Amino acid sequence: MTIPPVGLPHYLVLAAVLFALGLFAVITRRHVIGVLLGIELMLNAANINLVAFSRYGSLGPVANLSGGAALDGQVFALMVIALAACEAAVGLAIVLRLYQTLATTNPDEVGAMKW
Amino acid sequence: MRWVGLTPTQIVEYVAFLAAAGASLVTALGVLFAPRVLHAAIWLLFCLLSIAGLYALLGAHVVFAIQILVYAGAIAVMIIFAVLLLERGTGRGILGGSQHLLAGVVGAGALAAVLVPAVAYACWKQWAAAASMPTPPSGNAAAIGRLFLTRHLLAFELISVVLLVAMIGAMVLARPDRRRGELPEDVQEAQAEDTTSEWRAPLNVGAEEDAE
Repeated sequence: MTIPPVGLPHYLVLAAVLFALGLFAVITRRHVIGVLLGIELMLNAANINLVAFSRYGSLGPVANLSGGAALDGQVFALMVIALAACEAAVGLAIVLRLYQTLATTNPDEVGAMKW
Repeated sequence: MRWVGLTPTQIVEYVAFLAAAGASLVTALGVLFAPRVLHAAIWLLFCLLSIAGLYALLGAHVVFAIQILVYAGAIAVMIIFAVLLLERGTGRGILGGSQHLLAGVVGAGALAAVLVPAVAYACWKQWAAAASMPTPPSGNAAAIGRLFLTRHLLAFELISVVLLVAMIGAMVLARPDRRRGELPEDVQEAQAEDTTSEWRAPLNVGAEEDAE
């Protein structure tokens, strides 16, 4: 019996499962900050994909040696981290504002913009 | 020496991957089901750290460092601070708990049922090909920095603008609501004693715009 070594599929499957778990948190959490935590999980799952592709992707380590072309995935991951910081700051400010104006933190009770 | 077709280095990598992946999944479950939001945020902190371990396994040392510095160090701590602020505002522990469990199981289950087989099928051939992958060169910080200042220069500059806008927006949004008198008491007293009222008028105008 031969077990394949750790490769791209391992990371992609793990990222898919983490993404689904993040979606579960977004749907089921009863507190707005819990929803934000789920979004952070989903962003991290996407980041794992980006970094895994930069390691194992078709541009792979061969391109890595010739001018660092395959490092694009890591660059994207770093940008996603920066955007996640923005998202967390603005999201938490909205949560604080939400509690000040509506005195609730349950996303279900905020229906003013519901169609 | 080979065991189940793997060299010792690959076995070590496999064990490390399983440890990091298992840790991230277990801590993600903690994020999902922790009874208090504060505990969920702390679970998220450990989840981010184990994902940083995955980055180290992938040879992405810069992303590993930034993940610990920015994600675990700044974002997770900021979320914990926000939870504590809210708990102080509500005067009680923030309720965690779950709702719409059925919708969550169906939605996330359907997503996983589509994603996982699709991903596994799409890169099935790589299961065997991964064995021939050379290890990436270590210490690629210089190359990443060069990429940021050449090919991705526009995005690099834009993200600084985005950060600035987000910072200003967060400060504007989190400003206390002055109409309801939810400021600290000493500030309220200072406002009551202030007869010039020049600096209150624009603040009230802004608050009314927020309400609309």
